Amino acid sequence: MLVYVIRRIFVLIPMLVVISFLVYLGLELTPGDAVSSLINPEVASRITPEQLQALRESYGLNDPFLVRYVIWLGNIFQGNFGHSLAGGVPIATIFLDRLPATLELSFVALLFSTIIGCILGTISALRRGSPTDNFLTVFGMLGVSVPEFLFGLSVMLIFALNLGWLPAGGRLMPGYETIWDRAPHIVLPAMVLSLMMTAGVMRYSRSSMLDALTRDFIITARSKGLPEWRINLLHGFRVALTPVVVLIGFRLPLLIGGSVIIEQVFQWPGIGNEFITAVRGSDYPLVMMIALFSVFAVLMASLIIDVLTALIDPRVRLN
Amino acid sequence: MTNNPNVALSVKDLKTYFYTNSRCNKAVNGVSFEIEKGKTLCIVGESGCGKSVTASTIMQLLPKLSRIEQGEITYHSDAGDISIEELEPNGRKMRSIRGSEIAMIFQDPMTALNPVYTIGFQIGESLKYHTDLDRKQIRTKTIELLRNMGISLPEMRIDDYPHTFSGGMRQRAMIAMAMSCNPKILIADEPTTALDVTIQSQIFELMEKLKTDHGTAIMLITHDMGVVAELADNVAVMYMGNIVEAGTVDQVLRNPVHPYTRALLDSIPVLGMGKDQIIEPIPGSTPDPYNRPIGCQFAPRCSYAVDACDVMPDESYIDKTHRVMCWRYQELLPNAKK
Ligand SMILES: Nc1ncnc2c1ncn2[C@@H]1O[C@H](COP(=O)(O)OP(=O)(O)OP(=O)(O)O)[C@@H](O)[C@H]1O
Ligand SMILES: [Mg+2]
Repeated sequence: MLVYVIRRIFVLIPMLVVISFLVYLGLELTPGDAVSSLINPEVASRITPEQLQALRESYGLNDPFLVRYVIWLGNIFQGNFGHSLAGGVPIATIFLDRLPATLELSFVALLFSTIIGCILGTISALRRGSPTDNFLTVFGMLGVSVPEFLFGLSVMLIFALNLGWLPAGGRLMPGYETIWDRAPHIVLPAMVLSLMMTAGVMRYSRSSMLDALTRDFIITARSKGLPEWRINLLHGFRVALTPVVVLIGFRLPLLIGGSVIIEQVFQWPGIGNEFITAVRGSDYPLVMMIALFSVFAVLMASLIIDVLTALIDPRVRLN
Repeated sequence: MTNNPNVALSVKDLKTYFYTNSRCNKAVNGVSFEIEKGKTLCIVGESGCGKSVTASTIMQLLPKLSRIEQGEITYHSDAGDISIEELEPNGRKMRSIRGSEIAMIFQDPMTALNPVYTIGFQIGESLKYHTDLDRKQIRTKTIELLRNMGISLPEMRIDDYPHTFSGGMRQRAMIAMAMSCNPKILIADEPTTALDVTIQSQIFELMEKLKTDHGTAIMLITHDMGVVAELADNVAVMYMGNIVEAGTVDQVLRNPVHPYTRALLDSIPVLGMGKDQIIEPIPGSTPDPYNRPIGCQFAPRCSYAVDACDVMPDESYIDKTHRVMCWRYQELLPNAKK
């Protein structure tokens, strides 16, 4: 198992190198050179061209492109992501500031959509052709096709503005920081963010479950005199789960991408929100680093999913 | 039907129909037979004649589109007779019989085991639901079962997943699973079709041993006449949902009466029946199951067919054990001896 994980990590490395290289290329091509992004702009404006030149030399900015890339990569490994153009804040600080909010939202949405999606899909499969199944199928189609911002604005209108049950936006109010004060804030954005994925997981687990239930070992299980719940859950659902986990893995980027819009709609102070601000302000270094980070997150997610799949399916574990 | 106390299961005029696209397939159309304790009944017949459907009807494992139309399936348990056809298919009573009193082995050991659970878990499931053994005892018993089925190092293999087992070993594991609760009846639906010949004979040896050691009544579905000659005590020949001829193995193999039985025997080389047997395929092909002949199902392919064959023939007893479904059986009797 450990060998498997390590091997998967080694596969990731070349991908990360290629992508970071592309990001670096992007950074190079954007106006203003790396000095402006590496050095605090406040400081940069006060130094003379000679000093700047010396600085360039000392930072190795006059070195060949590839050497500079390697140095940049080394910096990243040390947590030095450069500075944002707006206000000269180190990008690492921005990440530390904004990342927890995004991860919190994505994690809650992921958890929500996985659990609800699997439960609904399984019910749908077991009650195939019933009104419940038909209703859930329609719900699934809507869930996949309604744009997130539209859904986001409507639930905000209903639950926050009209009914007043839940706050319309933000993540926490100053001074109210217990989990119970914070929970209501995350409900709406997490619900909207996970809607599409819930619908997808539901539809997929339904068909995966239906498929599993037609397999021979279900008959074997039944021929042993096992109760139906055990046949459906332990034999059917357990086997149906593997492809669902893979699907969730493929959908993870959707969560990260989707959170850009949702964070905007609900004023959620996460990376996605920061991303929009950075794009508007042409804050290239920040945009690039967020892009790099997203890619990294997606790759890590796929690694986690692979490991999970291997844990779930004994056949994958060996080869 | 006799009142033989050795009978473990009797099936009487059983009809199982399939309903697909509002058409009706009379897959099993009135079969009667008995399985005796410590005896093997072989069911033979061409593909699609309803052998598997008969087996799943007894186990109440029919797919949704089908149902028992008519007939009786009586399991003569130690605690009295049970009418299986009256039980709720997945109800408590039926479940308590399945796996513990009547067990089944399937054709394809590659797909019949759940890939995500260990062999030990899957055998243990039966024991868990049908016995009072605790976890540890179940494990000990499972290891013992695997050892009895000739699996080496059962203490280690018990925790392996099915994909690490060969086909033959999987079928052994399946048999171990089926035999775990010492069932009175074992139904084996072509248990060796997916296996090679040497493994095949080993599996049959195992089944033979179970029969003599535990007095298990075995219903063996097979295509292989060699297997029938070797293992069967009784034989039932099925054609298009009917048992056209049934009797002891000698009666059916040595003195076949029904034209279909004869054609079937002529179409398959029989091991140990000499080299110079003439092999002749059965003329014509099996009719469309949705559009069956009205009378004798075999009539369109039968060289003895007469007008009377437009009506379904009765079951006629040649003697106490040998019966046949053919209008002209008496004419055929004298030349039955090969
Ligand atoms: N799940 C099903 N749905 C619809 N029809 C079925 C189904 N299973 C069997 N049948 C029909 O029932 C009839 C008997 O099939 P059965 O499987 O019992 O044949 P068999 O004798 O076991 O053949 P084989 O030797 O190929 O296994 C066939 O006409 C078949 O088309
Ligand atoms: Mg069959």
